[in-house]
Amino acid sequence: METAYKTPFPLTSEDLKTILNTALSRGGNFSEIFLEYKHFHSILMEEDIIKETSENIHVGAGVRVLCKDQTGYGYTNVLSLERLKRAAVTAASIAKGTRSLHSSPICPVPFSHNFYPIIRPAPKESLGKKISLVKNTYRAALGLDPKIKKAKVSFIDQNRQITVVNSDGCYISDIQPLIKLTCLCVAEKSGRREMGYSGGGGKVGLEYFQNALTPKNIGEDAAAEALHLLEAVEAPAGEMPIVLAPGHSGVLIHEAVGHLLEADFIRKKTSIFSDKIGKKVGNEQIFIYDDPTIPFFRGSYNVDDEGTIPKKTRLIEHGMLVGLIQDRLSAESLGMPVTGHGRRQDYSCIPIPRMSNTYIDKGEYDRDEILRSVRNGFYAQNFQGGQVEDSGKFTFSVSSGFLIENGKLTAPVKQATLIGTNIDILKKIEKVGSDLLFGLQTGTCGKEGQAAPVTDGCPTLKVTKMTVGGLR
Amino acid sequence: MTGKGKFQGLKNLAEIMVRFACAQGAEEIQVTIVEALEFNVDVRMGKIENLIEAGARYCGFKIIAGNKTAYATSSDLSEETLHGLVKNAIRRAKLANPDEFSGLPPSKKYSFDTSSLDIYDPEISELETEKKIDLALETERIALSDSRITNSHGANFETKEMTTILANSSGFLDEYAETYCGLGVGIQAGGTDTKVEGFWSSARRHFRDLETPEKIAKKAVERTVRLLNPRKIKTQVVPVIFEPTMTSWLLGFLFACVSGTSVYQKMSFLSDKLGEKIAGENISVSDDGLMPGKLGTRPYDSEGVPSQKTIVVEKGLLKSYLCDTYSGKKLDLASTGNADGAGVGPNNFYLHPGNVQPENIIQKTEKGLLLTRTIGHGLNPVTGDISRGAFGLWIENGEIAYPVAEITVAGNLGKILRQIEEVGNDLEFRNAICGPTIKVQELTVAGE
Repeated sequence: METAYKTPFPLTSEDLKTILNTALSRGGNFSEIFLEYKHFHSILMEEDIIKETSENIHVGAGVRVLCKDQTGYGYTNVLSLERLKRAAVTAASIAKGTRSLHSSPICPVPFSHNFYPIIRPAPKESLGKKISLVKNTYRAALGLDPKIKKAKVSFIDQNRQITVVNSDGCYISDIQPLIKLTCLCVAEKSGRREMGYSGGGGKVGLEYFQNALTPKNIGEDAAAEALHLLEAVEAPAGEMPIVLAPGHSGVLIHEAVGHLLEADFIRKKTSIFSDKIGKKVGNEQIFIYDDPTIPFFRGSYNVDDEGTIPKKTRLIEHGMLVGLIQDRLSAESLGMPVTGHGRRQDYSCIPIPRMSNTYIDKGEYDRDEILRSVRNGFYAQNFQGGQVEDSGKFTFSVSSGFLIENGKLTAPVKQATLIGTNIDILKKIEKVGSDLLFGLQTGTCGKEGQAAPVTDGCPTLKVTKMTVGGLR
Repeated sequence: MTGKGKFQGLKNLAEIMVRFACAQGAEEIQVTIVEALEFNVDVRMGKIENLIEAGARYCGFKIIAGNKTAYATSSDLSEETLHGLVKNAIRRAKLANPDEFSGLPPSKKYSFDTSSLDIYDPEISELETEKKIDLALETERIALSDSRITNSHGANFETKEMTTILANSSGFLDEYAETYCGLGVGIQAGGTDTKVEGFWSSARRHFRDLETPEKIAKKAVERTVRLLNPRKIKTQVVPVIFEPTMTSWLLGFLFACVSGTSVYQKMSFLSDKLGEKIAGENISVSDDGLMPGKLGTRPYDSEGVPSQKTIVVEKGLLKSYLCDTYSGKKLDLASTGNADGAGVGPNNFYLHPGNVQPENIIQKTEKGLLLTRTIGHGLNPVTGDISRGAFGLWIENGEIAYPVAEITVAGNLGKILRQIEEVGNDLEFRNAICGPTIKVQELTVAGE
């Protein structure tokens, strides 16, 4: 599709230096410019028609000043020297003195890795091709069974170009693609209605839908979940053993563990993990990582939003807390290395430590062996999401599952909430399966009002017991 | 009206876009331009943590050609970019399918008296930065001065001034300005392994109406320490009392189920229920965009349809869905002035108060749960099913006995609406969606 815009960042290196120095004029010890150009398209199909399409341009720049652990920030969506200088003056006001630093000479930072080596970038493909992906998904969903009464399919492709320049002299850029194809279905039988959902994508090109996951897979998976729920019974209520399906259950790790290892919560000592670094927090079998470098994953990036090259980060090994999810500010304040997890929703936001692709690594148990060890329990299969508070209490919402009776999956079960406390659950993970999988490449995590694309994963897990919030 | 003249340039831009799109072959176009000034300060442990101040602009439009719709948005307001987007949109619209329900609202001459709505406070733009920072510092200081409080998530003060310009090809061209300010604090009590947390905030259109730092801090402390040393409880079915913040949460879910979009898509358990009894006699719910000074008040919706008061539920009868023009056409109903960007949004959506004091509701409860917070997802509009993680206070013999944690509540909105035994008299318009204390006859509370 033809683009409607000119080159994104019309600023010379002299301009950038002026802005960085203006930002330091009140005595801050670090200044940074974040430039962003995000261009995305969307297509929506429902009620048998391509109902609407959209094209969106999100352009702007933020200027940040750090004065020890204090942050000043200004942003603008007019990328002129004058407007950026004004943002710099605002950001500078966090410091209350006079200049003590000058920005170092600006020097581009080269890197050779590319975690999204895509073949067919979506923005270069015709709208017609993308519409046929949507239509194929829609038809697959409705075609699976006459009980599927409705489908809603959406496709979004995004191209995000960022440049980070800072007073250390770093100048680094990245172009991040992102695609998401999702399907929501409603099935109906004798007056009862149930929903199903599926989707896929990531930092991929359109070739993904030929190889990894086809529109047919996505449509049929969503339809199958809705059909499954038509036959489902109410969830049980109370404490019981839980087996978590591989892949989708990664949301548990994200909520129960990941958030509380984000270093801002540790630095502020609001996290229940803040005094547990180097200590045993869970079962010996537990290894948890956050890895922004997994090729093609939704949560991956070549460079984080403050210019750091990311690393696979160890969080928990042998049940011991060994590392944190860091941004520049928290790493400095805690005297620990940066990990490349400083992310922001867009130019109007301050970067904060965020997860990327978080997973619990594979263990040694066979899935059937895990199931066989449960007499009466609950098998959590698909999830809507979860939430955690710093005190460690978390929930996650199961959209579909099964009862486990005598080591076998029996009746399908509908909506239930699982609730627990994070330290407690790490101790109660009794068996870790050997079948590591990742969940749908469609997840978005929210923190302090900022959305970030993420992925999470895990193998089959057995939890000794957990509270299930059903009706019976 | 405030801001007139100042935004003439943006108004002209909106008009130019309407003319340009029509000349390029669009049959209808609607353009929105928003200009916002934002201030935000986060303080923590007596120090500024983040200070943000900025202005931003944004333009969004919808084009219809041959009953086919295309949308676009941009934060780059250069004519070159916007014209390019218009041309692309017209080209894209051709690839969509015709939709007989598309189109702008019927063109009528409206006149608006925005000033009587009282949604703009000139005082907000004049507040000194130091004063704004002090408000946040003071709120946190008072909260931390209570010896039971062990840590702080920080306090925050923010203001927003926004001007919205709306123009369309049916001749609509208007603008209005609004302000918002908010002050809040989040805190923790207890040691590392026994942490509990709570927060409180106040948000208003007018600075003078904002709650004082002292009131906010004390309320946050009270809401936090009451959760210390929670117990687990056995799974049981009991009466559940919803605090106003929780009633508001429940009403948010009800809003999603009466929104014209989910109704016509049959994604709501309340589809095809218009005129039916869906709740007890004691339940009336309205949406009102015209209440002076309230957070959900505006002269007209995002399509330029004038705001109104809509009675959604009257003494238990479902009287009206809330629609934008599109969902209205789908349901053969008129728009209720609830268009909000690309969908349907609330104005002031509230449950009418009853006449019982909230304390009396607790006193009359022999055993039950006072629900104070829920976390997680677990709302299904298609069935009305609810399942959420919960925090609350256990009630025994009409008194609060102890806090409970690691519980979930489960139920169904359709059933809950019929089982509301009591409605409190404590309605406060703290948010666009709000309600008073209510008591629900029974819900499943899962624990051990």
